[in-house]
Amino acid sequence: MARKLKRDLTVEEQLARGPLDLPFLMLVLLLTAIGVIMMFSASYADALYNMDDPTYYFMRQGLFAVGGVVIMYIMSKINYQTLRWLSVFALVGSIILLVMVKIPGIGASGGGANRWIRAIGPLPRWQPSEAAKLGVILYFSARLSKRNTEKKRHFNKRTYSGHFLELLDRIGFLELVPYGVVLVIIAGLLLLQPHLSATILILAIGASILFAAGIRLGWFAAGGAFMVAALWLVVNTTDYMADRIAIWQNPWTDTQGDGYQIVQSLYAIGSGGLLGLGLGNSRQKFLYLPELQNDYVFPIVCEELGFIGAAMILLLFALLIIRGYWLALHARDRFGALLIVGITTQVAVQVFLNIGVVTNLIPPTGISLPFFSYGGTALVIQLVEMGIVLSVSRQIPAPKAG
Amino acid sequence: MAQKERKNSTGGTDCRQNRTILGRTIFLMAVFGVLAFVPLLWKLWQIQIVDYRFYQEKAISQQTRDMLVTAPRGTIYDSQGNILAVSTDVYNVVISPKDILAAEETKAESGGKKAAKGNQLTDAESAAMAGRYQEFVAEGLAEILGVETDTILKRMENTGSQYEVLQWRVDDDVSTAVRTFQEENGLYPGVYLLPDTKRVYPYSSLAAQVIGWVNVNDGNRGAYGIEAKYEDLLAGEPGRVVTAKKNDGTEMLSSYESYVDAQPGLNVQLTIDATIQSYCEKALADGITSYEVRNGGFCIVMNPKTGAILAMASSPNYDLNQPRSITDPVLAAYLEKVQNDPSANEDAYAEALQEAQYTQWTNRVVTDTYEPGSTFKIMVLAAALEEGVVNQNSHFYCPGYKIVADRRISCSKHEGHGGQTLAQAVANSCNPAFIEIGQALGAEKFYQYLLDFGIIGKTGIDIQGEADNTNLVWTHDYFTGIYGEVSLATASFGQTFRLTPIQLITAASAAVNGGHLMQPYVVQALTDQEGNVVEQTEPTEVRQVVSESTSAMVREMLYGVVNGGTGKNANVEGYRIGGKTGTSEKRDEDTGDLIVSFLGVAPADDPQIVVLIAFDSPTPVVPGSDYTSHGFYISGGNMGALSAGSLIADILDYLGVEKVYSDSSYADVVVPNAVGLSQADAIKLLQSKGLGYRVVGDGAAVTDQLPAQGVSIPGKSEVVLYLGAEKPTEQVSVPDLIRMTASAAEQALEKLGLYMRPIGVTDYSDTTIATEQSITAGTMVDPGTVVEVQFMDTAVQDYAAIGNISNIH
Repeated sequence: MARKLKRDLTVEEQLARGPLDLPFLMLVLLLTAIGVIMMFSASYADALYNMDDPTYYFMRQGLFAVGGVVIMYIMSKINYQTLRWLSVFALVGSIILLVMVKIPGIGASGGGANRWIRAIGPLPRWQPSEAAKLGVILYFSARLSKRNTEKKRHFNKRTYSGHFLELLDRIGFLELVPYGVVLVIIAGLLLLQPHLSATILILAIGASILFAAGIRLGWFAAGGAFMVAALWLVVNTTDYMADRIAIWQNPWTDTQGDGYQIVQSLYAIGSGGLLGLGLGNSRQKFLYLPELQNDYVFPIVCEELGFIGAAMILLLFALLIIRGYWLALHARDRFGALLIVGITTQVAVQVFLNIGVVTNLIPPTGISLPFFSYGGTALVIQLVEMGIVLSVSRQIPAPKAG
Repeated sequence: MAQKERKNSTGGTDCRQNRTILGRTIFLMAVFGVLAFVPLLWKLWQIQIVDYRFYQEKAISQQTRDMLVTAPRGTIYDSQGNILAVSTDVYNVVISPKDILAAEETKAESGGKKAAKGNQLTDAESAAMAGRYQEFVAEGLAEILGVETDTILKRMENTGSQYEVLQWRVDDDVSTAVRTFQEENGLYPGVYLLPDTKRVYPYSSLAAQVIGWVNVNDGNRGAYGIEAKYEDLLAGEPGRVVTAKKNDGTEMLSSYESYVDAQPGLNVQLTIDATIQSYCEKALADGITSYEVRNGGFCIVMNPKTGAILAMASSPNYDLNQPRSITDPVLAAYLEKVQNDPSANEDAYAEALQEAQYTQWTNRVVTDTYEPGSTFKIMVLAAALEEGVVNQNSHFYCPGYKIVADRRISCSKHEGHGGQTLAQAVANSCNPAFIEIGQALGAEKFYQYLLDFGIIGKTGIDIQGEADNTNLVWTHDYFTGIYGEVSLATASFGQTFRLTPIQLITAASAAVNGGHLMQPYVVQALTDQEGNVVEQTEPTEVRQVVSESTSAMVREMLYGVVNGGTGKNANVEGYRIGGKTGTSEKRDEDTGDLIVSFLGVAPADDPQIVVLIAFDSPTPVVPGSDYTSHGFYISGGNMGALSAGSLIADILDYLGVEKVYSDSSYADVVVPNAVGLSQADAIKLLQSKGLGYRVVGDGAAVTDQLPAQGVSIPGKSEVVLYLGAEKPTEQVSVPDLIRMTASAAEQALEKLGLYMRPIGVTDYSDTTIATEQSITAGTMVDPGTVVEVQFMDTAVQDYAAIGNISNIH
């Protein structure tokens, strides 16, 4: 297709060709590059021992990173307004995929959970929960951005039910119903897998978009209270959660059993000291720290790069998150703003939960670290999301001179 | 700002909503972009900076394997560079029953394949195919190791084990045989030789108590002696290989290895001279046999000028290569008696064995104390001369006893020595005279000299476990107080207090070396593996106790003791030997047992060596008798001096000290050639050499002579000149000379054409008898052979009878 001349473009099309946000792009590329390098350093011992190939994880992660960056760029070129109508399909599609993991022959299980769609043809096995996050972000942003243009609902005030609905509408409940239904369906499916951390993440993403969109704070208070109560109930009724809390409070009671992973993680972080052992010199990666290519990659980063290095990476994440929200504040429209809020919040929550877990700040849940943890789907979807942010950034009008 | 949504009908609300979105996004930015990172950074700071040490140590301890690399243990040399103790590489023979079991299958398999191809099978394979692989290995090893096959088979039954040591530290020939057996039959894995080290003592028992041994049951640490005292220096610093290990225990990458080189142990060079040491041990052993000594003895040789110990022997002795076995004949006999005693139980034997082991390991020269007796008079004499309370012209009268306070202290000679000069009192070892000397000195000064001579406390010798005798000597207040009078009297002749032999010889050395109290030492130098001297022991003078002139007088008087005094049995013609005898009661045992000793100084005018030899409890023929069953009078003069004389002569000879003959008659003369000379010329030649002559035959010229030219014979001996007559060539039988007087012995030998070289006492009185001859009676020898004969004066009676002053304190 021949490239249209600028004068033939609509305003929308012209905007979509605007410059993408360079600081944000740089931060993404930097974090992706550091992540891939650290993946090599952290995983090669484990890969050599378990996979007979020291570059097993590195090669795959590297390929996904390159592919992901390309996709990110393509994504940034796509006018994000097209995502408005795509959002419904994305949501429905991801819900279908979440159902499919339970279907034998399509789903694949591991570690007592059915979280994966098995490898089909050239496609590796992947987690549809990653797609579900994007689905929720797209759908919520698209729907909430039209919130102020929705027609006011009218109810038959002569019936009690009409009165009741009227009341519900006034307090903003009716408006929340579709979001609530979506979240309950997805959370329910995720809990069936079971995949608690993904559930938490999706609830947090949903909540953040609802929050930014201006839903009354009372609902968040109510929702928060409900979550706390539910959590309290779970902790006090199931041994599994109670044990996790106990390990969190004192991992030293069982350093060889349940506390093993967190203790090894602390050893790795602690032995890094101020300056670290140097890139590639981690010792904890020699089969001490389990899952180090997944959720526990950051301790190896701390061990090799020290407090200075770890703090630098945290700073990069903080800058990425701040720049993300900054882009949201400047987005051309409400849809773009909410998209970025959802995506940025996802990154922020994942960073907080992952590093909080590996440093034993919060009880253990399995949440991966964006750009660092091994996982093709996660990385590609992460970069797709970054692409969406960049796409939004293109349509930010340039500040007027003077 | 952004949010330029198109205005709609509800423009006001829209605007407010935009503000809400703006505000809430800023809120999210603050929370997730800034606040969330605060606890994360705080936590990282806590872990990586605050608690860094804690985590680092924990991590390193789990990540590293720390292997010790043993450092080669230093060698112990004598002063001449002879190796006294050395570590050698040896092997432990180890089997892995588990691997042997597994190997049986693989061997049978490979054997089967070979058989199918028609190839020759190895013995091991045939055995494995017959299901006799274990037996095959066990039989082979049993033969090499010299153990029962069943014992090894029994160890192989423990098939869960991978490490069964069949034999520790085998010799080279055994390990070579095992290796050959292992390689020929392909017994790897299953049979292993694992390196280890073994401490070898080439001289076996030589200076055993000084050197000490290494206890393999205590991590090869030194037990006793230099091995223990210098453990840290000999052992060196073990090296470390720190390797990073994976969680499964295996090493992952060599780049994480770090080495701390083993610091080899230092070599220790002793002042001990192996030759002198062996002389001392022989003198001790011979004396113990001759005098029927029950509790062993000790012998020390010191260089008085430096304090260096040239020899330090203790009996009972033992083999350092087998420190737990009892090789001393007296101890072994005692143990056998316990073992065969029907009334004793097993425990009694075990206890006796342990006691015997401790006895033989003890270096009694530094760890045990005894009452020195008259040898101590050397220090009293020196102190009195130094203070001027006596001089060479002092006179003493000995009635045979001395009354002190309410005690009657008798002299060794009950009838009394009568009037005597100071030198005579020393030569006679007269107790009453020495009591007077002590009294003249006074308790205060006497005690000060005890301190100055190092008699109270320790010498500081570099040997483990030196006893501190402070509590075995009177306190200053007691000694100088009103009850100290008797103590002063007994101290003057060396009784009623105890000291270590090393204290005594150190003090005596000071008395004769010009007055310098030297700190005794046995370690000459520490050297590294390349032989560089790391540390050299310089002689340390503790203090000057007496003056040079006093010391010279003491030496002269000690010479008098050996020349006509109680020490005359220590005399060796040609050497100026001084000394002092000692016979002390073992008052702590109340058995009447005695310790007989002799402290010798030679050469008396310029001492090169000071020797202290003592025998503990010679056995009297019947209890209470003064004689042993061999007829030795039990005293220092008859036993200590006798043993010391030949010992000192051997040592001086070895040290190359020239013999000086005051009377040329006894100097050896090399027989000149008289054959072919006329009778007159021959006689003239012999006379010029100080030799006698006897003529046989009546020819004009000398046709033959006896002894032949070049033979060394004592001066004044007769040379037989044959003038035409045939020289008898028939061999003659050496007569038994023991217990003969000197003149009788000389005559007996002369009659047979043999020559006598007397050793020891040479004043041919009737009490001087032969105790030993160099050629056993009945041996056939050529005419003209020289027989060395040891004489002793049995009239020496120096026993310090103090029985009636016991129970003083």
